[in-house]
Amino acid sequence: MEAASVQAGTPQRRRSRGIPERRLAALMVSPSMILIAIVAAYPIGYAIWLSLHEYSVRVAGLQRWAGLKNYTTALQSSEFWDAVRTTFIFTGASVVLETLLGLVMALAMHSAFRGQGLLRTVVLVPWAILTVVTAITWQTIFEPSLGFVNSLLGAVGLPDDTVWLGQSPEALMVMIFADVWKTAPFMALLLLAGLQVIPDDIYEAAKVDGATAWQRFVRITLPLLKPALLVALIFRTLDALRIFDLPFVLTKGAHGTTTLSLISYETFQTNRILGAGSALAVLTFLIVMIVSFVYIRFVGGNIRGLAEE
Amino acid sequence: MKGQRFKFLLVMCLAVAMAVVVAACGDDSGSSGGETSSGQTEGAKKIDPASMDSAKGNVTYCTGKDTSGDLKEGVKEFNKANPGLTAKLLEFPESADEQRNQFIQRQRAKSADCDVFESDVVWTAEFASQKWLLDMTPYVESRKDEFVPSTLSSVTYEDKIWGAPRVSDAGLLYYRKDKIKQVPATWQEVYKQAQSGKGIVYQGASYEGLTVNFLELAFAAGGKILSDDGKKSVIDSPENLKALQFMVDGIKSGAAPKAVTTYMEEEARRTFEAGRADFERQWPYAYALGEMKGSKVAGKFDVAPYPEFEGGGKAAILGGHNSVISVYSKNPGGALKLVDYLTSEKRMTKNAVKYSKTPVLTASYDDPAVKKSLPFIDQLRQAVEQAKSRPVSPVYSQISQAIYKNVNNALSGSTDPKAALKKAQDDMDKALATF
Repeated sequence: MEAASVQAGTPQRRRSRGIPERRLAALMVSPSMILIAIVAAYPIGYAIWLSLHEYSVRVAGLQRWAGLKNYTTALQSSEFWDAVRTTFIFTGASVVLETLLGLVMALAMHSAFRGQGLLRTVVLVPWAILTVVTAITWQTIFEPSLGFVNSLLGAVGLPDDTVWLGQSPEALMVMIFADVWKTAPFMALLLLAGLQVIPDDIYEAAKVDGATAWQRFVRITLPLLKPALLVALIFRTLDALRIFDLPFVLTKGAHGTTTLSLISYETFQTNRILGAGSALAVLTFLIVMIVSFVYIRFVGGNIRGLAEE
Repeated sequence: MKGQRFKFLLVMCLAVAMAVVVAACGDDSGSSGGETSSGQTEGAKKIDPASMDSAKGNVTYCTGKDTSGDLKEGVKEFNKANPGLTAKLLEFPESADEQRNQFIQRQRAKSADCDVFESDVVWTAEFASQKWLLDMTPYVESRKDEFVPSTLSSVTYEDKIWGAPRVSDAGLLYYRKDKIKQVPATWQEVYKQAQSGKGIVYQGASYEGLTVNFLELAFAAGGKILSDDGKKSVIDSPENLKALQFMVDGIKSGAAPKAVTTYMEEEARRTFEAGRADFERQWPYAYALGEMKGSKVAGKFDVAPYPEFEGGGKAAILGGHNSVISVYSKNPGGALKLVDYLTSEKRMTKNAVKYSKTPVLTASYDDPAVKKSLPFIDQLRQAVEQAKSRPVSPVYSQISQAIYKNVNNALSGSTDPKAALKKAQDDMDKALATF
């Protein structure tokens, strides 16, 4: 993906002589295009092809053309729409919380004080831990009878018999919580990078003009942070939309935590229904594509300026 | 204009990157042709028992991670005893789903990697219907009297035998002998005592283990899952409702903690070993662990085969593994020879004594050495003998999902038992109608 955007920038540069500009551009872009075709276009095409067929799970080698049947079945099933809802609730809640928390962390890390280096290191620890390990850790912490959370609640006199991962909506809340804990540092890191490119003299000028701290934050920090914020948002949203490992480990999809990736995996891999499973994967792909399109079209007014920075 | 094009490119790049991730779990179906046949296993190749007599060359035994080491030893001994043959072990990950995936991927690619595969008892029908296995009927028939009869039901599909049982398994009722004077005669009595004591724990999370836990009670209550021809689900029946209602009431009354709806084997074991339950439904592997240092119940517990369900009978569910031979094996004779050795009485007895593996041969249960090292072997034998197979079907994974998802919903209180069984029946009928 990064390689592609670098390549996409290349042909826009002016060249004064030599091979016609367009030909040269095409030539220079072609290696990455061929690579993308092999690793991306072929699998997508193949998934679409599979999704238009039915492959028997009982008779070896039996298959037939299904047209759009796999899609209509998926779109009519409540399981699919439940998964869509769960995925969007998870994405919305976790991305908003991560952004807010990440921003606070980034601002804290940005201000100069003793022990700044240590803080930056400590903050990054959760992000460095594998998601599966994160999930198992939180699973243990939220375990009803031996876990830390219920013991703590009991110690301060609150009800301590909640089965966190055994009921809805608590299970989804734990999932969002675990994701926020893990990825807020990532958000913070991206935003910190954004903060560091804002020149100090702007702040000084504002101070001289008598701007309050809040005004400086709203009028200077936020607008100048927007490009970094946008990149971070896109990364996190697309990541969250395909969440798989957290629900897979925490609940196996029980109690309203079945996400789109999980339902595709279960259909395709566990139940070996290749056609329907591929259709679910393609639908997920379309949803993600629409979301990224909306992002860039409506939120990212200056995405191009951002890319050239 | 250029900006527009760049935006479009960026969108495409992002989308493509996502699609790669989404499609990455897609492996090759490798299927071609399109002939139909009525009997799914019709025309399957049979393996001739005589083919192992002159076997030479190499064989590979594919299995999930050999954590106890009994297969490593078995293969080593086999190589010593058979100079012309070299067997080796290919270990897959420990997780059952992953073992199944690894084998399926190889069979789809018509790979000769695995001559023999250690198949979980519930996968046999699926593999047989995909024509991935050699028909072992003549071989197993010739040794039929040696096996505990219940273990053969798990290798039988469409009246043919597709593997040799190698390890068995059946759940047991663990109880605190320091608190429970006499093992209750019925499940109802177990729950009553559990309610006035510290409770019973079992595997109630939304996964395969819950299917087993539910079926144990449902079969004991006289319930059935599939119609006799295997074409329809009959799970929505009064008997099954009685069993499910019993489990739900158990949680409501406090006989079982609410948390069992998230318990798998290890959570249940830890709770019992911490002394926080008087009863536990568990596999035999927990016996030795429970007696180890660090367990608060060491020396204070015992096991029993399951009691009766009031108004029904006794039942258990069969676990364990079968050795199946791949249709793509380049050395089926050698493969059969290896299976013959690994399922021999000598090997089986040693596995029980040294590695606490539940035998599938009746002779091993009577062996004095086995009795000495597995003090609960008689209870285990009863459990295995009364054990029934889970539904034998090529769409077993979906059938099991229909059971554990809906039963889990009922246990956690989000659906009432009647509605849960109705939904399970609908889901299962849908599964059985899968193309």
